[in-house]
Amino acid sequence: MDPARIRNFCIIAHIDHGKSTLADRLLEVTGTIPEREMTAQVLDTMDLEREKGVTIKASAVRMVYQAADGETYELNLIDTPGHVDFSYEVSRALAACEGALLVVDAFQGIEAQTLANLYLALEAGLEIIPVVNKIDLSSARPDEVAMELVDLLGGAPEEMLQVSAKEGINIQAVLEAVVRQVPPPSGRPDRPLRALIFDSHYDPYKGVVAYVRVVDGAVRKGEPLVLMSTGVGTEPIEVGVFTPGMHPTGRLGTGEVGYVATGLKTVQECRVGDTLTDADTPAPEPLPGYRPAKPMVFAGIYPTEAEDYNGLRDALEKLRLNDAALVFEPETSQALQFGFRCGFLGLFHMEIIQERLEREYGLDLIATAPSVAYQIVTTQGETLEVSSPADLPDPATIQEIREPWMQIQIFTPAEYIGPIMELMTRRRAEVGTTEYLDARRVVLHYRMPLAEMIVDLHDRLKSATRGYASLDYTFDGYRPGDLVKLDILVNKEPVDALALIVHRDQAYEKGSALVRKMKEVIPRQMFPVPIQAAIGGRIIARATVKALRKDVLAKCYGGDVTRKRKLLERQKAGKKRMKQFGRVTIPQEAFLAVLRLEGG
Amino acid sequence: MTTAEAAAYVHVPFCRARCAYCDFNTYAGIDHLIPAYGDALRAELRAAPHARARTLYFGGGTPSILPLDLLAELFHVLRLTLHIPSDAEVTLEANPGTVPPAYLRGLRELGVNRLSLGAQSIHEDELRLLGRIHTWAETAEAVEAARAAGFDNLNLDFIYGLPGQTLARWQETLEAALRLGPEHLSLYALTLEEGTPLKSRIARGELRPPDEDLAAEMVELAEEVLADAGYFHYEISNWARLEAQSPKPRAKRWWEPGAWNLKPEAFSEDISPFVCRHNLTYWRNEPYLGFGAGAASWREGRRWTNVRHPADYIARLEAGRSPAEEVEEIPPRLEMGEMMMMGLRLAEGVSDGRFRARFGQGLEEVFGEELARLQDLELLEWDGRAARLTPRGRLLGNQVFRCFLP
Ligand SMILES: Nc1nc2c(ncn2[C@@H]2O[C@H](COP(=O)(O)OP(=O)(O)OP(=O)(O)O)[C@@H](O)[C@H]2O)c(=O)[nH]1
Ligand code: SF4
Ligand SMILES: [Mg+2]
Repeated sequence: MDPARIRNFCIIAHIDHGKSTLADRLLEVTGTIPEREMTAQVLDTMDLEREKGVTIKASAVRMVYQAADGETYELNLIDTPGHVDFSYEVSRALAACEGALLVVDAFQGIEAQTLANLYLALEAGLEIIPVVNKIDLSSARPDEVAMELVDLLGGAPEEMLQVSAKEGINIQAVLEAVVRQVPPPSGRPDRPLRALIFDSHYDPYKGVVAYVRVVDGAVRKGEPLVLMSTGVGTEPIEVGVFTPGMHPTGRLGTGEVGYVATGLKTVQECRVGDTLTDADTPAPEPLPGYRPAKPMVFAGIYPTEAEDYNGLRDALEKLRLNDAALVFEPETSQALQFGFRCGFLGLFHMEIIQERLEREYGLDLIATAPSVAYQIVTTQGETLEVSSPADLPDPATIQEIREPWMQIQIFTPAEYIGPIMELMTRRRAEVGTTEYLDARRVVLHYRMPLAEMIVDLHDRLKSATRGYASLDYTFDGYRPGDLVKLDILVNKEPVDALALIVHRDQAYEKGSALVRKMKEVIPRQMFPVPIQAAIGGRIIARATVKALRKDVLAKCYGGDVTRKRKLLERQKAGKKRMKQFGRVTIPQEAFLAVLRLEGG
Repeated sequence: MTTAEAAAYVHVPFCRARCAYCDFNTYAGIDHLIPAYGDALRAELRAAPHARARTLYFGGGTPSILPLDLLAELFHVLRLTLHIPSDAEVTLEANPGTVPPAYLRGLRELGVNRLSLGAQSIHEDELRLLGRIHTWAETAEAVEAARAAGFDNLNLDFIYGLPGQTLARWQETLEAALRLGPEHLSLYALTLEEGTPLKSRIARGELRPPDEDLAAEMVELAEEVLADAGYFHYEISNWARLEAQSPKPRAKRWWEPGAWNLKPEAFSEDISPFVCRHNLTYWRNEPYLGFGAGAASWREGRRWTNVRHPADYIARLEAGRSPAEEVEEIPPRLEMGEMMMMGLRLAEGVSDGRFRARFGQGLEEVFGEELARLQDLELLEWDGRAARLTPRGRLLGNQVFRCFLP
C-alpha cells in the first residue's frame, strides 16, 4: 500500500469514556468485522477484560476504508486502556501512530486521564482529533463538553465531532476526519528496514509475536532480521496484520502496522521498544525506544502450597511475555516461605496479575500488602533500595529513610473540594494550587507520599465524591520521612510478611486499626490468638481472636454419614487455602487487611 | 450358617407441617400417599436381604402419623423377612399431639418398646419460632399417656442455641424435662440448614444468628445438670439414665476418670441399659439396613441410599424395581475414617480391639500421627485401648473428625 493512503491512529480517553465501543463501530462501518460476528468491545478479548468491562492491553487492527474522496485507505487503529495504571501501555501505542482520537464522555467531560493521555499524545507529536462521545445519554451536555475541548485544544466548537459509539451516530465523520487530518506515515520505503516493536504477546507455536510499526523499508516472511539492541537474529515465521485475528500477509510495507512472529522463546530476546532491521543490510541507527516501565508498587506473591512454587515461576514468566511492565524476583519469607517479590504499575495492575495467575494458571496464592520502594541511607553512607518492609535493615544502621512522593491532580466538581481536602490531608498530602476548569469543575494539585496513595486512595476518592472525581499522578521525587517499621505479631511471633513501613505519627492509629481488622479476618482457632502491633519491640496495639469454643456436628446418624463426611471433607479442603503459620491459620484477607482499614 | 446382623430402619417421610429448621426428607400435605407408601414399604421389605435385626427403628418424618393397621401390616412383613428377637429394641419416633392413649396402647401391642418424642422446648414462644405444631402441655400429656400405656423407655428431643435463647431459659427447659423422668434425652444444638425458613429469616436479619459461645455454655450446663440427675452423657448429643435406683446416683461426667471405661472391655450398654442400641450401630459403623424413601443402608463395604421422594420411591416399587439410587463403595481407608468420625462421637470412643478386628491393623498403626497431634492439642485421649474425645474435643469434634478423613 502506498504510504500516502495509510493512516495510523489510536484511541485515547479517560477510563470508560467509550474507546472500545467506538472501535467496535469503526470496525463495523469499515466492514472489518461482519455484523453477525460483532460483540460489544470486541477488541477486549481477555476473559478479565470482558468481565470487568475495561481494556487492560492495547490492541491493533487493520481496517480498509473507502473514503468520500473515492480513494481506498488502510487505517491502522490501536485501542488503548484508560486506567491510570496502564498509561505506559498508552505511551507505547502512541509511538506507532501519527494521530489520536481523543474521546470524551459527553456527560462527564474532561477527566484526569483525558488530560494525562492528551499530553502524552502531544509530546509524541500526534495530530489530535477530539470526539465527544455518548451524546445519546439523556444527561449528555455535548455543547458544554465541546467548549471544554475548544478551551483545551483551540479550534471551533463545530470542529469537535459529536458521536454516539453505542448508537452508531456520526461514525462516518470520525473516519473522514482520520483520513483528512491524520498525516500519512513519513518513512522511507527505500531505506533499510526499521520497525518499532510496540507490544508483544507469546504464542506457544509462533514464539514471541512482536507488534510492529514499520517506519522505513519493509518486513518479509523468511527474510532474516536482527533486533538492534540485543543483536539477536531471527527469521520470521509469519508476517501479517490484525483484522483483528492474526492474518498472514507475508509482508508489511513502510508505514504499516502489523505483527512479526519471531519464533523467539523469551522476551529478553525480543523486547518491547526495540527496533527490528534487516540482517543483511542493517539500518545504521535504531528508532528511539521507550523508557522501560517503572514499577511503583511491590508485593510478595506466594503459593499457599509450597509445591506450587515452580508453577508460580512459570506462570509469572508467561505473563511477563505479554506484560512488559511486570517485574519479579525470588523472595523468601519466614512466614510464607518461597515466593516472588513482584513490581506493578499500580494496585489495579497488581489485582489483574493476581487474578490472572489464579484463574489462568489455577494457582492458589497469598499476596502480601503492597509496598513502595524506599531508599535507605545507612550510617555508612550507602543508599539501599528496599521494597519489602521485611528487608529493612537494623534501625541502628539507618541514617535516613526516604520515600517516593507523587504529584497528584484531582479533577472534581467544586462541591467536593471539602471532603477531598479532608481525605488528602489525613494522608500527609501537601496542598498545592486549585485551578478552575469552568464554573463547576476544578483541578486540585497535591503532593503526597506514594505509600499513602496506593492504599485505596482511588476508591476512597470515588466514594467521597460519589464517583465524580478522577485522579492522575506522576512521580515527584524521593524525600526523607520519619518512617518506622510496624511489626505485626500473631500468637506472639512477628510475621515478616505482615510488617509495614508507616509514618511515626500514624503508627498508633494504623497499628490499632490493623489489629482490629486482623481480628475480624483471622478465623477463630482452637486457642486464643493474640495479635499485636509493635514498633521496635514496643507493643502499641493488641487484640485477641477468641478461641473457637464449639464446632461439632449436632447430629450424625446412619442416613447422614455420606453427607456429613463430605461436609467435613470440604472444610478440610477449605483450610488448605489458607497459610499455616505455626499453629495459626492465616487467610489471605489478613495480609491485605491494611488496604481495608476504617477511616484511612 | 449364621444370619448376618443388621440394625433395621424404616423411614416415614410424612409430617403434619414442616418445622422451620427442618431439612429432613419429609413432606407435609402428601398424606394421600400414605397407603401406597405402606404397600411400597412392604414390597421393599419382602425383597430385603435376610438378616437378624436386634434393633428396629421407625424414624421420620413423623412415624406416629401412620395408622395402627398399616403399622401392623408392616410389622407382619418385618417379622417374616428379618429375624427380630423378642428382646429387640423397637423404637418409634412420635410427635406430641399425634399420639392419643389408644394409639400408644396399640403400639405397645405391636411390640414397640421405646418411644422417642420430639419435645424441643418447654417454652411456647420457642416452639412457635421452631414452627412446632404442639405445645409443651401436649408433650407432658403424651409422656403421661405413654407411661400409662406401659412405655418404660422414653426419649425426649430438645433443641438449644435458638436465636435469642438465654442460658436461664435453657435451664428451665432442662429442669422441666427432668421432672418428666425420661430414660433418655437427645439435646441438639440448632443447626441452620440451607433452604430452611429459619436460615432465611436469619440471613434477612429478622432474627439474631445463634451464638456458638453461648451454645457451648448451654451444653456444659446440660452436662452438669444431667450428671447430677443421674444421666450418662454417652454421645455428643445423647444422654441415658443410669439404672433406675433410689436415691438416684450421680452419673460421672464425660471427662471424669472412669466415666465410662470401668473395665477395658466396658461399652456404653454396660453403663446404662437405656442407651439407644439402634443408634449405637450407626456410631460404631456396624451394618444397618434402611427401608423407605431416602433410607440408607450399610454393609460389607457398601453404602446405598433409596430415592428420596416418596412418590418416586412408590413408583419404583410399583414397577417392581429396586428403590436404591446411589451406591457408594467405601474403600477400607475411607471406612477407617468413617469409623473414627462416627465412633469418636461416643464417650466409649473407638476401641482398638474392634478396629483391629475389623481392619487387621490397630489404631496406632493407621492413625499414629493423627492421634499424637490431636493429643498435643488436647482434643483426644489415647491410652492404647481406645481413642476418645477430651471434653474440649467433644465441643470441637469437627476439628478432630476432619483429621481422620482422607
Ligand atoms: N450511552 C452510551 N454509552 C456508551 C457509549 N459508548 C460507550 N458506552 C458505554 O460506556 C461504557 C464503557 O465503554 P468502553 O467502550 O468499554 O469504554 P473504554 O473507554 O474502552 O473503557 P476502558 O478501556 O476501560 O478505559 C460501556 O458500558 C459502554 O456501553 C455511547 O455512545 N453511549
Ligand atoms: S416433625 Fe420432625 S421431621 Fe417433621 S418437619 Fe418437624 S422436625 Fe422435621
Ligand atoms: Mg476499552
